[in-house]
Amino acid sequence: MSGASCKANGAVYPASSAMMNSVKKPKMEQIQADHELFLQAFEKPTQIYRFLRTRNLIAPVFLHRTLTFMSHRNGRTNAKRKTFKVDDMLQTVERMKGEVNLPLFIPSQNSENEQNSVSLEVLLVKVCHKKRKDVSCPIKQVPTGKKQVPLNPDSNQTKPGSHPSLLVSSNEFEPSNSHMVKSYSLLFRVSRTGRRDTNGLVNGEANENIDVTDTPSRKKRSSSHRDEGETTETFVAQMTVFDKNRRLQLLDGEYEVSMQGMEDSPVSKKRATWETILDGKRLPPFETFSQGPTLQFMLRWTGDASGKSTAPVAKPLATRNSESSSPMETRTSNHRAALMTVKESVSTDIQTRKEQVLCEPRQKLRIFYQFLYNNNTRQQTEARDDLHCPWCTLNCSKLYSLLKHLKLSHSRFIFNYVPHPKGARIDVSINECYDGSYVGNPQDIHSQPGFAFSRNGPVKRTAVTHILVCRPKRTKPSLSEFLESEDGELEQQRTYVSGHNRLYFHSDSCMPLRPQEMEEDSEDERDPEWLREKTATQLDEFTDVNEGEKEVMKLWNLHVMKYGFIADNQMNQAIMLFAENTGAHIIRRNLCRNFLLHLVSMHDFNLVSTATIDRAMARLRQIQEELPDIEEEQQDQTVVSAGFLELEN
Amino acid sequence: MFNTNRQKIMDRTDILNQEWKTRRIQPVHIMTSVGSLRGTREVIPLKTLNAVASVPVMYSWSPLQQNFMVEDETVLHNIPYMGDEILDQDGTFIEELIKNYDGKVHGDRECGFINDEIFVELVSALSQYSDNEDDEEEEEHDFKVEKMELCTSDHHSVISALISLSVCLSVCLSVRYKELTEQQLPGALPPECTPNIDGPNARSVQREQSLHSFHTLFCRRCFKYDCFLHPFHATPNTYKRKNLENQVDTKPCGLDCYMYLVQVSQRSFIHSFIKYHSSVNCCSPSSVSVFTIFTSIKQMGGKNSSFVRGNSRCQTPVKMKLTGEAEAVEWSGAEASLFRVLIGTYYDNFCAIARLIGTKTCRQVYEFRVKESSIIARAPAEDEDTPPRKKKRKHRLWATHCRKIQLKKDGSSNHVYNYQPCDHPRQPCDSSCPCVTAQNFCEKFCQCSSECQNRFPGCRCKAQCNTKQCPCYLAVRECDPDLCLTCGAADHWDSKNVSCKNCSIQRGAKKHLLLAPSDVAGWGIFIKEPVQKNEFISEYCGEIISQDEADRRGKVYDKYMCSFLFNLNNDFVVDATRKGNKIRFANHSVNPNCYAKVMMVNGDHRIGIFAKRAIQTGEELFFDYR
Repeated sequence: MSGASCKANGAVYPASSAMMNSVKKPKMEQIQADHELFLQAFEKPTQIYRFLRTRNLIAPVFLHRTLTFMSHRNGRTNAKRKTFKVDDMLQTVERMKGEVNLPLFIPSQNSENEQNSVSLEVLLVKVCHKKRKDVSCPIKQVPTGKKQVPLNPDSNQTKPGSHPSLLVSSNEFEPSNSHMVKSYSLLFRVSRTGRRDTNGLVNGEANENIDVTDTPSRKKRSSSHRDEGETTETFVAQMTVFDKNRRLQLLDGEYEVSMQGMEDSPVSKKRATWETILDGKRLPPFETFSQGPTLQFMLRWTGDASGKSTAPVAKPLATRNSESSSPMETRTSNHRAALMTVKESVSTDIQTRKEQVLCEPRQKLRIFYQFLYNNNTRQQTEARDDLHCPWCTLNCSKLYSLLKHLKLSHSRFIFNYVPHPKGARIDVSINECYDGSYVGNPQDIHSQPGFAFSRNGPVKRTAVTHILVCRPKRTKPSLSEFLESEDGELEQQRTYVSGHNRLYFHSDSCMPLRPQEMEEDSEDERDPEWLREKTATQLDEFTDVNEGEKEVMKLWNLHVMKYGFIADNQMNQAIMLFAENTGAHIIRRNLCRNFLLHLVSMHDFNLVSTATIDRAMARLRQIQEELPDIEEEQQDQTVVSAGFLELEN
Repeated sequence: MFNTNRQKIMDRTDILNQEWKTRRIQPVHIMTSVGSLRGTREVIPLKTLNAVASVPVMYSWSPLQQNFMVEDETVLHNIPYMGDEILDQDGTFIEELIKNYDGKVHGDRECGFINDEIFVELVSALSQYSDNEDDEEEEEHDFKVEKMELCTSDHHSVISALISLSVCLSVCLSVRYKELTEQQLPGALPPECTPNIDGPNARSVQREQSLHSFHTLFCRRCFKYDCFLHPFHATPNTYKRKNLENQVDTKPCGLDCYMYLVQVSQRSFIHSFIKYHSSVNCCSPSSVSVFTIFTSIKQMGGKNSSFVRGNSRCQTPVKMKLTGEAEAVEWSGAEASLFRVLIGTYYDNFCAIARLIGTKTCRQVYEFRVKESSIIARAPAEDEDTPPRKKKRKHRLWATHCRKIQLKKDGSSNHVYNYQPCDHPRQPCDSSCPCVTAQNFCEKFCQCSSECQNRFPGCRCKAQCNTKQCPCYLAVRECDPDLCLTCGAADHWDSKNVSCKNCSIQRGAKKHLLLAPSDVAGWGIFIKEPVQKNEFISEYCGEIISQDEADRRGKVYDKYMCSFLFNLNNDFVVDATRKGNKIRFANHSVNPNCYAKVMMVNGDHRIGIFAKRAIQTGEELFFDYR
């Protein structure tokens, strides 16, 4: 993302420039009319993408480097995943506390010292802007660490991991609260105890303090080794990290710095050059490396933080076409990691891969965008020779990536790739079938505000499937997939996501279906209310059917509709259930004989046995007995039951 | 009013907010009422309502889970509106449409503006305000106004004409009013109607009359009265009893049982008979014989009850008098009717009849029976001569049957005709049988014998009936729960997991469908749970209309570019426009995930929608309309 964010201002609008260039000198009206047509076609989507670009800069939706076709933008590998253990995370976190620089030092082989190691101190020197009261620029030295570094190690013996490293936190590069920092530099100070004179180099006996610069405002510092009482040789070297223009000078890489004796030449910010004066004599630049003590280290920028807080932010936003900006950007997006390490340790794959990327020859492709509108009117832009997306200024680095990006991210247009002797031509036309439909949680749009905070207890939310990982079969990237297809058939893009990613509606009312209503099926009801009513009215319409018959028929119809009987052999059971469910009602409504007639009729249709009739009627009597109040209400019923009782006895 | 309501709401919310505050629930903010428009500054919380996308157009329809047969429409119910431009340009279409209905459009009767109901209502409403004499006048006045509108051609003649007209009108109207109101009197029934057997006016009628309504309205196929699907119902008279089940209780139902009466009569005269009967430990082997004996006794004349007392085979001391004389019992009309109904079912099982009538003892029933003996038919004698069917023959039949299905399947034309139960008494199902000519099997609803060669005997699968191994599946029929007894189609009525997979339509084992705007056009239907290939999804339900009606309706639907018509068979079409179920929203596709299959389900053709491939959760359903 940072790659994209670097160039917020870099968009060059294809519309106007393209327009103007290609049209030669027709009449003014014609130009205007054509211009109108062009705008009509391309203005709206372009504005939309312009807006989206800005939005993506501020709040990115996804990282481009995670896209498969942009994998070259990703500086990491997943190689470590194979050996990953959960415990590693703790270590990583602990290491992360310090962040950024991991320097590993070895003083040069030149020093023939018997001592195995020397002490190295690294200081970050901040030269601040002058304030009014200050005479000269205030300088701050921030000690970043002190290490014992092997002296003249045998190159064969050293293992990559064995070298001491130092970290400089990226916070240090952030603007300090009191002063505006003008420039940053690293000050290496190697001190060696003992009196041995080596190579006639300066010995630092008399070295009172280790002041690096002669700036008056500088604080006095005393280093620890002074207290040892022994003479200490101190060599210093300074390297600028950020110069006055806040440009990053110290890129990743291996360095060999020649060291200078302390009193010999105090390092100042102005003299942080590779030239060295040795013994008052100016040496040719590389002379010192062969003669004086040198320090080898490897520098790597690590972690996201540095990329954000230092170089990219500090850097003035480069114009898109400026030659200098491109490598710069590539660097920042790809290697935000810096590590100082020994020369011998250059074996990690990170290191090698980084080099590959850096070394990759940049294709000098010329890309022409040809806009098709108004029945194949064509407008061609001037060629551009970078691979930035014209709509969102994303550097795609490769033609394939660019085309893929255009196709996937700017689907309001149709892009067709046409090979061109000088590079590529991309035909742009409006996608008539653009589907901008919403694919998020449908409930999010429709749920009324505050619904989620319902006060009637917990609320169920719609389950929406979001794909986290999808590994479709990928075809090998090939530019041919962007060529205009002959049959003109749009390739079918099937959604990978299955599930209920839409808002459902009630079939009767067209109201949105709320998540908690998902489980109810309106069709579970076999007998909709209107049908129940319909069967009643339909029976009521008969004039030659008496009301007792009608009532029993209605009851029975509702019963059948409710249970949905389908087989003859269900009928005996159905009758018993009918007696059970509606028995009380039948007795109350005084329909017993009609009920019996119904049973006999069923028997006539050969659907029930007489045994069922007997049982159903017996059950009816039983229900009747259980309803004592009915007997008082209805005199004749009492007689019936009494008669029955008599018989029973 | 508004402000007081407002105040109430405020008070209520204050109370609630107080409560919520203690429970840490976000309080409700109520808009402060905009009391005065000028002067004071009002602070109103801003609530953003999201824009809600509009949903596709849906014309109202009624939910239905089973097909519903409707008659042809003889009048055009409404002139379809299809936008102004169509109406202007394409007037000929409407004209043609009206021509289809012989120019009849709903509501253009001449006096359509006042029907009987409104008339009665109007008069009764007016009578509240005026005296009895006046109300006709008032009514007439009303009518006058209406009439005036009708004939405004020349005013002079009209007024004089109206006066004379009003006189005769008032007479006409009063007569009509009387007619209408009298008809509404409760209890008054048209003469052809049998009175309610449970009501006070129950009359003594014949069995056929008592059961007439039940017999004619009952649909043997739907088990419902006046069902929605089958316009013609066969009456049961011609149905044959499969088994005679009118066994007579062999034991007396009580001390008063008529059987003793019979016994006594027997004893007193024919001793040999008694001995025979006592040896078999019952009064008679069958009611038929009882009756025949009894009648023979009766013919001899004379009864002795005292003799019975001593020689009764009953162990209990007999206290009651078992007089042979019929007691003078009053038989109400209802009881008499009921008796006649029951005697047709139970024959001579008087104990059972008495139990069912409830108000009469079996003796009384028995005596009534004697009185009525002339009218009542005998129980049909069992035909003894039918030999027990041999298994082998059955098997052979089965084999020929399976072959037949295969043949039918292969050499069949695409015409599928609607099934109608055949009814040709005493004639085998040959080429004259409607079932045979329509190339349908005879079903259990047919009046032909169960031995009919054209009958579909069901399957005997023990598997899932979802391959062509199953004769039902092969014949594009669902398993009949009354015929296929081994596959499980007749089991587990309550549960959804039936071993037979070929009975989903009849059981309504549809899948849960969800409605949402389609990805293709208009509304679409989406499945809630994944289904496997060939699984049943839903039945395509709707109105069943004739082909002619479908042609007429289709003209309008074509104009709307939206049709829910689905050909069912050569005679009928399913139209889900007005009534239907959710599957009606499935869209057409040439590459669908569902297919439709018209199946014979217990005598009815029904449309099942099945999965053409495995369908995942939330997929939209399509089938090929063609």
